[in-house]
Amino acid sequence: MEQILLDAEIRSVAGKAVKRLRREGFVPAVVYGHHTAPMSLQVKERALHQALRVAGTNHLITLSLPGESAPKMVLVRELQRDSLNHAMMHVDFYEVIMTEKITSDLPIVLVGESKLVKSGNGLLFQGLDSIEIECLPGDLPPEIKIDLSTLTEVDQAVMVRDLTLGEAVQILTDLDEVVVKILPPQVEEVVAAPAVAEVAEVEVLTKKPKAEEEEPEEAAGKSK
Amino acid sequence: MLQPKRIKYRKVHRGRMKGRDTRGAEVSFGEFGLQTLEPYWLTARQLEAARRAIVHHIKRGGKLWVRVFPDKPISAKPAETRMGGGKSALSHWVAVIKPGRVLFEIAGVQEEAAREAFRLAGNKLPVRTQFVSREDFTAGGESA
Repeated sequence: MEQILLDAEIRSVAGKAVKRLRREGFVPAVVYGHHTAPMSLQVKERALHQALRVAGTNHLITLSLPGESAPKMVLVRELQRDSLNHAMMHVDFYEVIMTEKITSDLPIVLVGESKLVKSGNGLLFQGLDSIEIECLPGDLPPEIKIDLSTLTEVDQAVMVRDLTLGEAVQILTDLDEVVVKILPPQVEEVVAAPAVAEVAEVEVLTKKPKAEEEEPEEAAGKSK
Repeated sequence: MLQPKRIKYRKVHRGRMKGRDTRGAEVSFGEFGLQTLEPYWLTARQLEAARRAIVHHIKRGGKLWVRVFPDKPISAKPAETRMGGGKSALSHWVAVIKPGRVLFEIAGVQEEAAREAFRLAGNKLPVRTQFVSREDFTAGGESA
């Protein structure tokens, strides 16, 4: 497994003042773990971006801190992004103990192409985009690949039980869940006439007394 | 067109549209999404026009999710009516949209097809929109 190195600094700024850090090109971060007290950090945005492009959420990162004798082995537990420009706002690192099992979400990556989907005779339905697994940090696979070219018939599916991850990895997701399935193609619906209820016909659960309800309409009639 | 089956109150206050949408601001079901960049009251007609534009472009194949629902009743006075006389009858339904909200999601189509479908849908809407993909929100994603 490729080693990914990342340098971090101890952060003294907290709260709304971290906006200034972001302007200076840092991303606020925190590191915590089973036997680790939480520590506020800051990492250079550029370095973090490069590390995450390779590591994703399922690859161990070697995090070096000033004043610490040994680097920490961490996983990215959560990454907060701006909802509009997708800039990194904050990152959570989880320090792992190499002899202690962890649970993690393993992303599912689809490779290849089903002939049915390509010809338009089938629609690919993806039920899950990740599965929950338990294993030692050293055995953590970065992703699981599913070859779509094996799906050749409509209603053919890949279930969680069909996934092979080796003996070191235990799957926690329900084994009967569908990962991908080929569905019959959908046909564009033809709407002849908009058969919708009138706006006023919607049932009101808390009806007012009748006299009060009719009042506005009568008044509107008089003003004409 | 979309509208609620039952409602608790027939007429509601107008409310305000401050800030951004934090819920429903990521691609959660499909692979690609159409995200709004402005606050607006999107009417059921506008949403239906955009939905049709997408369905018409992708034809067969692909699955579409509509992530918003017009559940706010709007009242309007009839034409040539003098002011007063209380709040008028219901006119239409709107979905309250704030910047960041993902309106539609799509899966099972190529990125180019999804981009074009959302471009056509965006033209039917009175707000600025942007194309987003699921990867934009993950660890390996790029910032815009």
